[in-house]
This record gives sequence, structure tokens and C-alpha cells, in this order.
Amino acid sequence: MPRIQIGSWANDAVNWLRDNLDWLFTLLTKVLNGLYDAIHTVLAAPEPLLLAGILAVLAWWLRGLPAAVLTFLGFALIDSIEQWGPTIESLSLVLVACLITVVVAVPLGIWAARSRVVGGALRPVLDLMQTMPAMVYLIPGILFFGLGVVPGIVATIVFSMPPAVRMTELGIRQVDGELVEAAEAFGTHPRSTLFRVQLPLALPTIMAGINQVIMLALSMVVIAGMVGGGGLGSSVYNAISSVNVALGAEAGLAVVILAMYLDRMTGALNQRVSPLGRRALAKAQASLGGLKFLHWRPATSVAMVGVVVLALLAGGLGMAGKGSGQGGGGNGRPISLGYVNWDEGKATTYLWKEILEERGYKPKVQALEAGPLFAGQARGDIDVQTNAWLPTTHASYWKKYKDHLEDLGAWYDKTSLEIAVPSYVKGVKTLDDLKGKGGEFGGKITGIEPGAGEMKILKDKVLKDYGLGGEYKVQESSTASMLSELDRSVHRKKPIAVTLWSPHWAYDKYPLTKLKDPKGSFGSGDSLHLLGRKGFAKDEPEVAKWMKNFHLDEKQLTGLENDVKSAGDGHEQDGVRTWLKKNPGLVDKIAPGAGATYAKGKDAGKAPNIGYPAWDEGIATTYLWKNVLEKRGYKPNIRNLDVGPMWTGLSTGQIDVETDGWLPVAQKQYWDKYKKDLVDVGPWYDKTSLEIAVPSYVKGVKTLDDLRKHKDEFKGKIIGIEPGTGEMKRLKDTVAPAYGLQDFDVTSAGTSAMLAELDRAYHKKEPIAVVLWSPHWAYSKYKLTKLADPQGTWGANNQIKTLGNKSFPKKFPEFAGWLKNWKMNAEELGSLEKDIQDAGKGNENKGVEKWIADHPGIVDKMAPVK
Amino acid sequence: MSRLQAEHLYKVFGRRPEDAVRKLEAGADRDELRADGTTAAVIDASIEVDEGQIFVVMGLSGSGKSTLLRMLNGLLEPTAGTVRFDGQDLTSLSDKELRKVRSEKISMVFQHFALFPHRSVLENAGYGLEVQGVPRAERERRAAEALALTGLEGWEKSWPDELSGGMQQRVGLARALATDADLLLMDESFSALDPLIRRDMQDQLLELQKSLKKTIVFITHDLNEAMRLGDRIAVMRDGRIVQIGSAEDILVRPANDYVASFIQDVDRSRVLTAGAVMSEVGTVLGTTAPDGRTLGTAAEFRAAAPATVGQDTPLAELFTPCSASTVPVAVTDDKGALVGAVPAERLLAVLGESAEPQPAPGVPAQPAVKTPAKAPVDETPGNDEPVEPGRNEPEDKVIAGA
Repeated sequence: MPRIQIGSWANDAVNWLRDNLDWLFTLLTKVLNGLYDAIHTVLAAPEPLLLAGILAVLAWWLRGLPAAVLTFLGFALIDSIEQWGPTIESLSLVLVACLITVVVAVPLGIWAARSRVVGGALRPVLDLMQTMPAMVYLIPGILFFGLGVVPGIVATIVFSMPPAVRMTELGIRQVDGELVEAAEAFGTHPRSTLFRVQLPLALPTIMAGINQVIMLALSMVVIAGMVGGGGLGSSVYNAISSVNVALGAEAGLAVVILAMYLDRMTGALNQRVSPLGRRALAKAQASLGGLKFLHWRPATSVAMVGVVVLALLAGGLGMAGKGSGQGGGGNGRPISLGYVNWDEGKATTYLWKEILEERGYKPKVQALEAGPLFAGQARGDIDVQTNAWLPTTHASYWKKYKDHLEDLGAWYDKTSLEIAVPSYVKGVKTLDDLKGKGGEFGGKITGIEPGAGEMKILKDKVLKDYGLGGEYKVQESSTASMLSELDRSVHRKKPIAVTLWSPHWAYDKYPLTKLKDPKGSFGSGDSLHLLGRKGFAKDEPEVAKWMKNFHLDEKQLTGLENDVKSAGDGHEQDGVRTWLKKNPGLVDKIAPGAGATYAKGKDAGKAPNIGYPAWDEGIATTYLWKNVLEKRGYKPNIRNLDVGPMWTGLSTGQIDVETDGWLPVAQKQYWDKYKKDLVDVGPWYDKTSLEIAVPSYVKGVKTLDDLRKHKDEFKGKIIGIEPGTGEMKRLKDTVAPAYGLQDFDVTSAGTSAMLAELDRAYHKKEPIAVVLWSPHWAYSKYKLTKLADPQGTWGANNQIKTLGNKSFPKKFPEFAGWLKNWKMNAEELGSLEKDIQDAGKGNENKGVEKWIADHPGIVDKMAPVK
Repeated sequence: MSRLQAEHLYKVFGRRPEDAVRKLEAGADRDELRADGTTAAVIDASIEVDEGQIFVVMGLSGSGKSTLLRMLNGLLEPTAGTVRFDGQDLTSLSDKELRKVRSEKISMVFQHFALFPHRSVLENAGYGLEVQGVPRAERERRAAEALALTGLEGWEKSWPDELSGGMQQRVGLARALATDADLLLMDESFSALDPLIRRDMQDQLLELQKSLKKTIVFITHDLNEAMRLGDRIAVMRDGRIVQIGSAEDILVRPANDYVASFIQDVDRSRVLTAGAVMSEVGTVLGTTAPDGRTLGTAAEFRAAAPATVGQDTPLAELFTPCSASTVPVAVTDDKGALVGAVPAERLLAVLGESAEPQPAPGVPAQPAVKTPAKAPVDETPGNDEPVEPGRNEPEDKVIAGA
């Protein structure tokens, strides 16, 4: 048979889609995420019991008093077993998926009912959607949509769509032909026939379909948990992958309560939305005997009022409950941590969560299967994963994704892979001892996930080396199943051989013997690595540095694992805190140099007024000094002023100091005017220049003379900055006449307008000439050519100086001293400006923080204290 | 002037229907076409219906009568032929124009009522008006009027499933009447009802028709119903119309054996009238009465006759007078003038007459010729389509009328 390469075609197709339809997937992701966030925000806002009340009112409206009471009790129970958050996440996910499914499926079903061709073409597609195992499209789903709720929603939609389409089609087709004919005979337009006759009569069937959709969606939610969909799926997934019966039971119970509620409510919804259903309801109520109040249901309007009142109440409480933000070095930057759901992964991940939170970050934690975890991280959805077993166990993933990942180093290196047997099995100490005991062990070694590296080594190498191949079969299962099997066997004192690894809590829990591997077939053992996504170390240098230096020894790790495990699921972080209390100072050791540790300066508490013009180097250095001064306990005020007013303010003492004095050329006129009241604290930057710059893609324009020659290309325009500045004056008075540029139209719209225009032109690859100066971040952002000035018309180079009111050195001797010795080079200033630029307006301090983190020790260098 | 005319209507289902029509016109019959996989439902049917007339189309299931009806309002597009209503050619109209005609001029009453279960009785009756876009208040007023007309006052707020079959069909009738359409198409409208209720409905229809004067095309497989309601009756068989005429035409002069076998179980004494069987007055003059008097003049005959009846009197009412005297019963016209006599022998002879096909004037001759003589033996109407009133099971009707 020739091999038909369907698999590789599918792979190519997926790659092509990922590369070429990225915009579409991005759009879809945005839309779905937006929908999910909106619904989740609304549902998660109220107090649990209030929402339970709202749901109960709905139940009363739909099904009567007993249902309402049960609903309230059910959801109160969910709250009590601490599954409220996950339940609401799941509910939101189901609602989003169902909403989209219904919006798509009902019209499709109608179309299929009206056209045989469409119906016939749809059927195989629906079959495919219904029967294709979800994991098959879940993993490509991650490639397209990233980790999180979106692939979960998409998979849910795919899975739950078919019944809605089918039931709609069936419902429409089922409508009595004579009724349709009657409608036609009275001259009804086919569209009206659909809305007046077919849809109302098909509605009970369609509603049954929607009911199916919701139930299928809910069952899919569990699978979505494996790709980080959150909600009850994650709880269930967590429970099964760590054989946590308690959590499993609670999460499962929450799923059941949610499922029953949704099932009964959508089932009853038919009685409210469809005319036939209303009719049946009225009949049933008319024929009731006693106990009528049990079946009495509030009218729609009454129920609406109830829901609105509760919702308003909830909204009011929600508002009142909001409070307090967070501070610290991380400034609330999010960092997502992922881990394979093994104990050492969970323990370290929550340890890092605690550390990062203490340092002011907003870490997010996700437990995932290795496959989705690596795939998601390669896409950049996960910043750091804590327990990559390298070089062996996770070798296949590492090989595939290493271009998108960076190794932050090993933090634990005494792992080993092995086969373990219970200690009560006598006479089996090494792998050699297994030989000939196949009968005793049932001829099998209980393994874990087939994709795991250990399984591969075991099958390919270990069995061969020890000649066990014929005698033993390696049974593929999952970690959870293997552990259950081990648990079962140990309790019955039966012999069993399992694939295991150290460190593992199973060694604490059961008496096990690690079989020795004299031939070294399992290899030298993995180290546990922290892996960052590509670019993580650049984005979060401080955290990356901490992680690179992070190390735990076996005693620390097992202690941590124990504390986390005994704190129980949902309280991992409490376990971490318990452990940290036993290890004081460890946080500072792992993550040194957070904000609180800066020493106060001598003049701490003083409040210098710093002024700055709205130029990038002024903004950057002023915010930098503000940050540094605050770290030293000062209370600086900074004020943004126009150049003229600022010099005036400096001279009168309203402003104590500014860092952006361009002398001796650019601001000569001010200096000459005010110098008697000022003091020159000193230059901090030497190599400034003024110039006209053009994008490098404009060929043949290297000098100001070239600019004149290419006048038409630039449409005779030079984009200038604020008209009052020295540079603009210089351009007009000196530079332009010297190079014959007088007939150029020099616009004077301001610095930010110039930069915006530059950005626009640059993206369209249009020629543009702008008035610029060095240092400027534009040179690091765009490829620009500074036009040479052979005649030297721009004048001597400026220095950038710090200027103070003459009383400044006396008032702030320490600060003045720091400023006197302060210097910056082009790289430092450029990166600082860029960080501030990237952080965005209003977040300047964040940019400064990042820059300070990138330049360890800079604070002490700028502002030394004894 | 006839309001509704259908000329040479053909309806063929299957592939290349036009070819099939050409073959049929060339003399092919239905079975030959069936071999090609096409089905000729209606073949060369032509009817004319006058204003205020009830025109009954009668035939067994599969005879094409329902198909014919649906071509009259365009629910089915004829393969060939034209339908004209008030001079307007319905076959040439666009979908939109056709819908307008249907909503304003033609109503339909269905076999299984076809009431919308999700609408109240009032909403059902007002459906046609709703389609026309009549404002709610007026719509409800007119629907209520139509319901009152059919005797359903006070049931407006009920739901269809709360009504009996007869009442449901009254709603169906009210729905058809509410739009003030001139042409009423009734497709086996009473077949699904119990016999007694059916009779009531027939009476009510005749009663309404006296005042409303609608033009009605009524489909049925029940000969007695046809005879009761029909001003004119068309008998269909295998897609063709085999005879068109009044009830008496069909009863007295069946066009062929098929029609004859169809009518053999009909209670002739209730359908035939004195006017249809009477002899010339001259045949009586000159005879002698039992008491010895000679009946020399018309006046003497009238004096001696056991009874004097109108021309429309059914024969059933003549038995008593005839048995009382050997003198024939005198028959007079509307004005009371003597027009004929019914002697006892004649009465017996007419009722005993086995219906023989005889060419009747005014009947399309061509279909009758083809009817094979043995047909009545195989296709006795009573076999699957009981004709006698009173023995019909409604379940049969559901199947037969489909």
C-alpha cells in the first residue's frame, strides 16, 4: 500500500493556517475573550449567595418554588465547598459557547431544513464534529488561539453544535405540511411562514436541542480544563492528576449541581418562550389540585423585577467591596507561571507566586498537561514553567519548542528515573532481579503517559539492557492511574512494578524500593529547570535573574511539598507561607533588592521641586530622579513646564532644579538672561547635537545639500518642533540660509506632532525630513539618517546640564552632590527613554522601574549613601 | 358569465414534465408514463364555475382531484393549461402577485382543518387578515364576525385543541370567510368528520351559501355529499374528468360504466326529482280512473290525482300517493301550471333501472369512450370508498382523502 500522508498534510495545513490566518485567529480570540470576560465579570461580581438568589428567582419563574429552594441550597453548597469561583468560570464558559453555538446553529438548521443539498452536505460535517476526539483539535486549537478559555470555548462550540443544528432541522421538517400549505394558501411570504408558523411550532424541538447543547458544553468544560480553560474543568483535572479524591468529589459535585440546574432550567424555558409550551403550562396549572402554591410561578415581569432588584443589590455591594491596590517592585506586572501537575511543580510554582506577589508582581498560576504547557509557552501565553525535566523526560517537547523558549537554569538536580516495587516484595533490589519474576508481577510494569520520556527510555533501552523485553509488558496509562494502581496493590500487599521518579511523594507515602540500575540505562537523571518563554529574560530581567540563581536542595523541596500538600488544595499558598516562616530570610535571598531595602538619604523627607520641559530626555531623567529620590526617602515634586516659564521659575526659586539645560548653544538666551540667579550643577550628558534627520530608506540624501537637491521628493517640507525653541531659531536664521533651504516650508507643530508624523510616514515608507536632536529615542526606534552639516551651521555641540536655583546646593546638599557626579551615556539614556515610552503616558514610573531593574546597582551609583 | 375557468390543465410530476404532456396530448396513457418514472396527476382537465355556484369535484383517492384544486390557487403550478379567475390569468402571475391574489381573493379550507395550534381560535380566524396587514382591531372584529357566522360565538379565546372536530372545521371555515375572498376552495373539508356532524356542516354550508353567494369548488370522494352540495359535479378518474353535469345528469345519464358503478349505491329516491322522471301530461289523458271516471282533460286529471307535487320534490315523497291510487301524481311548475305526471309504474321503473352509461348532452365525450366495460367490477366504489352515509369510519377518510 502506498502511504497516504494525511497526517503530514494536516500538519502542513495547521502550520499554514497559523502563519497565514493569524489575524483571523487573533480577532476570534479577542472576540471570544471579550465575551467571556464580559459575562464572567457580570457573574462574578455579586456575592455568591446573592447570585444564588438570582438563580433561584429564575428557577422559581421557570419551575416553581421547590426548584427555587433547591437551586438556592445547591449553589450555597457549591459556595461552601469552595468551588464557587470555578463554577462561575465554567458557567461563563458554557454560556459563551452556547450563545455562539445557538446563533450559528439555528440558522444553519433552518437552512438545512429548507434545502436538501445543504442538509446533505452538512450531515457528514456534523458527524465529524461530533465524533472527532476533542483532544485532536484541542492541541491545534492552542496553536491558533493560545492557552486559556478560548480554545476551550472553540472546542466546546465544535462539540455541541451538531445537536442544535440537527434538532432545528428536525423541528422545522416536523411541522405539519398542511399547516405550511395553509399558510401558503393565505398568501404568506415564505419568510413569514418561517417566523409565524414553522419556528414557533419547531421551538419545543429546538429548545430540546439547546438543552442538549448546554449539557454537552458542560461535559466539554472538563476537557477544556486541560488547556487552561479554568473553572471546574481545572479543578477536576487537578484532582485526577494528583489522585485527590476529596477535591475530585467536590469539583464533581459542583459540576453535577450546575448541570442539573442548567438542564432543568433550559428544559423549562420552553414553557416560557414557545407558545405551545406556554399553552401546555397553562393547561397543567389549570388541572392542579391542592398545594398550588408549590407550583405557582411568578409572572415574567415579577421575576424580572426580582432579578433586577437582586442584581442592583449585588452591584451596590460589589462596589463597596472594592479596595486597596498593591505596591512594590513589580508594579502589578502580570507574570504567568505554568507547571506540569506534579508535586514538585506545584510546590515551586506556588513558592514563586508568593515571592513575586511580595515583590509587587501579579503572578497567575496554571496547571497543565506537558503538551499544552509547552505549546502554550512557545506561543508566549505562559511566561515561566517551573518543572521542566531535562534533558530526558521532556526531551521531545524541548526539542520541538526550544527555539521559542529560554532555559532559566536548573534549580534542582538530583532527580532520577526508576522502576519501583513495594518493599514487601522480597529479593528484588535491582533491575536484574526482575528477571524471572515476570509471573509474580503479572508480566507487566505499570507505566505512565505514553508520551513521557521515561516510558520511551524504559521501552527502548532499559528492557533491552536487562533482557526483560519478552517477560514484561509496559502498560501505558497515566500518572494518576499508575498511582491508583500502586495504591490498590499496596493495600492488598500484591507485587507491582511501577515506573516512578524521584523526588516523588509516593516514596513518603508507601514503603517502596527503587530498583538499582547498575547498567545506568535510565541515564544520569534529569534536572528540574525553570523555562522562560522567549524574551522573558529581556522583559523581566530582575525576575529572570532571581530565577537563574534559584536553587532548592532535597530537604527544602520535600519540606515545601509536604507543607503545600498538607495545606490542602486551594490553599497551596498558605502552605508556602508556613514553609517560608520556617525558613526566614529566604525570600530576600531568592529575590534580593526589593523597594523596601533602600537606605534613606541624609535629607530624607525633604521635598525638592524639579521642573522639566516636555522633551523626552527631560521627562526621562526627571522621572528617574524622582524614583531614586523616593527610594532615598525624599518627597520630590515634579512639574512639567514650558521652557520660558521654567527658566523664570528657576530664577525665582519656585523651581529648585532642572536636568534639561542645553548649553552653551540651544538655551543661550535664557542662560544669559537668568544666570545671576542660577547655579550650574554640572553636565550629565556630553554628546548632544542638533540636526535634520530623514529615514534611511530615502536614498541619496546624506547631507543638508542633498536635501535641497531632493526638495520635490520631500514636497518642500521640513517637519519642525515648537517654534520658540533654539533649534528652530537656529534652523531659520543660520542653517537654512547656508544650505539654500529658505524656500522649504518648515512646519512648527510641536515635538509630539513631529514624532507622530514621522511614525506615520515611516510606516508608509514616504520621504520625510524632521528636525531632531541627539540623544533621542527615535534613533533607536527608526532607521534614520542624520544629515551631515559640513559647514557646521548647527553650531558647537551642546551639553545637557543640571541647573539649579542659586540656593539649591545649600537647601539640598546631598541631592546636589549626587547630581554633580551623575553622568549618563547614550545607551543608558536611549534605553531609559524607550522604557518610559513603552510604558506609556501616565505609567512613566513603571518604565523607570524596569530600567532600574535592568541596571542593577544604578540607584546606589546615582545616589550613594553611607 | 363563469368566474373561474380552467382550461386544459395538466400536472405531471417527475422529470421532463413538458415532454410527458406532449405524449399525453398525442394519446399516451397514464401507465405508459409511469414506466418512464413520471406521474400524470391531472390530464387535460377543463372546468368552468359560475358565480354563486358550488362546483363539486368527485373522485377516488389518487384521481387527481386535490392536485386540480391546488392548481386553481397556484399552490401547484400547472405543467400546461391556464387558470382564469375573474378574467385574470393566474398562471402568468409572479410569486408576489399570486400571493396577493391568494390573500385577498381565494381562500381554502383543509381536510384536517390545518389550524395553527399555537394561536387562539380568534387568531386563527384572523390569520388571513393578518397576512393582508389589516390592523389588529379591525382584524379581530372581522374574525369575530366570521366566527359568529359559523356559530362559534363565545369561543374566541379558546385554543384549537379544546374544540371538537366539527368546531375546529368551523374555525377553518371562519378563517376562510374572514378575508371576504370570493372563491372558496374546500379540500375534502368534511371528510374527517363524523357522519352526523358532517351532515350538520353540509347543511350549514348550504345555509351560508344562500346569503353569501360565494363561488365554491368543493372536493370530495363521497358521492352523497357531492349530490347534496353540488350545483354541478365533475367526476374524476385517473387524472381525467370523465363527466360533468348536475346531480341528476350523473344519476340518470352516467357517461360510462365507471360513473354508473359509482352511483349504483346512491339512494336514487332522494336524489331524483319528480320533474326528472315525469311523463308528458298527454300520456295520462284518455285513461280511466279506478272509479270509472275518464280523465279527458288536464283539469280532470288534476282533480283525480292522489297528489300534486312540485318539480323539485324527491321521488321518496311520491311513494305514499302512488300507492293510494292508480292515477298518476300530478307535477306542476313553480307557477302551479301542470307540466307532467308520474305514474306508479314509471316510479318503480326508474328506481329499478340499473344505471347504464348513456351519452348525455353537454358532457365531454372523450373520456367516457376509453372506460373499459369491466371496470365497475374491479373498482366498485364501495370497496375502499364507502358511499353510503352512516357507515363511513372517519379513519378511512384520513387515508382515502390524503
